[in-house]
Amino acid sequence: MVRVTKLRYGFPIGLFLFFYLDGILGAAFPRQLFSEPYAMSSYLVVLWLVFAVFFEDQIQIPLGIWAAIAGGLFDVYYTGVWGIFIFVFPIVVALTRACYKAFPINFLSGLLVYFIDITVVCSLSYFGNLVVHMTSASFTDMMVDSLAPTLAYNLAAYVILYFPVQWLFNRLRN
Amino acid sequence: MHKFFSNRRLVIVIICLIVSFGLMSVSVAIRNKRSTPPMVQQFGNDVVGLVNRVVAWPVSGLKGSVTGFSDLMNTYQENQRLKSQVQELAQTKVHDQAISQENKKLKQELKLNHSLTDYTPVNANVIARTPSAWQNQVIIDKGSAAGIKKNMPVLSGSGIVGRISEVNRTNSKVELLSNSSESANRFAVTITNKNGQSVHGIISGYNRDKNLIEMGNVTSKTKIEKGDKVSTSGLGGVMPSGLFVGTVASTGTDNYGLAAKISIKPATDLSELNVVTVAVRQAQTTN
Repeated sequence: MVRVTKLRYGFPIGLFLFFYLDGILGAAFPRQLFSEPYAMSSYLVVLWLVFAVFFEDQIQIPLGIWAAIAGGLFDVYYTGVWGIFIFVFPIVVALTRACYKAFPINFLSGLLVYFIDITVVCSLSYFGNLVVHMTSASFTDMMVDSLAPTLAYNLAAYVILYFPVQWLFNRLRN
Repeated sequence: MHKFFSNRRLVIVIICLIVSFGLMSVSVAIRNKRSTPPMVQQFGNDVVGLVNRVVAWPVSGLKGSVTGFSDLMNTYQENQRLKSQVQELAQTKVHDQAISQENKKLKQELKLNHSLTDYTPVNANVIARTPSAWQNQVIIDKGSAAGIKKNMPVLSGSGIVGRISEVNRTNSKVELLSNSSESANRFAVTITNKNGQSVHGIISGYNRDKNLIEMGNVTSKTKIEKGDKVSTSGLGGVMPSGLFVGTVASTGTDNYGLAAKISIKPATDLSELNVVTVAVRQAQTTN
């Protein structure tokens, strides 16, 4: 249960803000993010969910449900194909929770966990698109043109946002 | 030892997989067959799109100030270059005006209301881009309320950039030419060579490494050279004719050495889209 803290409002606002930023940044800086054949997909909304697992502490946010909501909106609004991110985002949250229990999370181990998360998001969305014939790219193309730039972008975002978001969660909790 | 896949968990995983595949195939089927998505999806997209515009405002403001500065730096060079083009353009414009008037009169005499070249432009802003490598797709701020329908061509700068793939009430999605999906960019085009002969065909793919549009299965013997202009032919569907697609970059044969394969350089840089124009065809359409 989310107790009556500012996190109750802060968490959804942050989630939606990052959700919109994913699309808006792509539209505002297309030359930097999508110069053919490379494509950096911005998954800031995943970053917010992962940070929430790291920093929620005693307060249990129903993250699985929020992840499904964010994933559903991602499917409907951005891709137009139901059924991919609505399942991928909760899987990522569950994976991060499992890692969180297995070893202590700090800045560096968190970076590694986020590395795995983004790889999972990229690969699952690729396979999803492949089975419904939305893409014809080969697996190697996906690794070089999409996964590598996406990892670089999202890990950079992690490094930049880790401490600000930690500070924000601490503020909102008290 | 705790088994990771307990019975209950296994059942949940399998059900999730089935639901996921079911949802994917249903939504792709709807996307391919129906002209608009289901009501619920449309409503959801409209609401999400509305908030998107509010969030996008400060970001675009920030970007505007940055690009404004860099634009200022190369204004002088651009001015020099444009001055030389203006003279030529004025002449073409006057000529164009005379020809279009003549065309109008001739159409009246023939009692033709709208031919394939007529279209009404609807201008729209790009408000978001799909953050996915598999769908080169942008979201624009005009929808069925502005008269946009599925499969209409979308222009930016001097040429065509893609087509409408999903229409909601107040926003719609545009699939770009560079999309890697198997059915995204099948436009009916025509290439006109220097002697005025034309070759009809269909765009068959996009070369991601070289940024070229590919037109395959061309069996015509008409000679096509580098630099020949490619435009839409207006055959089939809702596409007007005479929209600029690009220029021929190279010609060759396909992998089997039977038909010709023509590579086309797109007229517009597909990675820089801020404002687009949707061409709404005026002539009667089949769908």
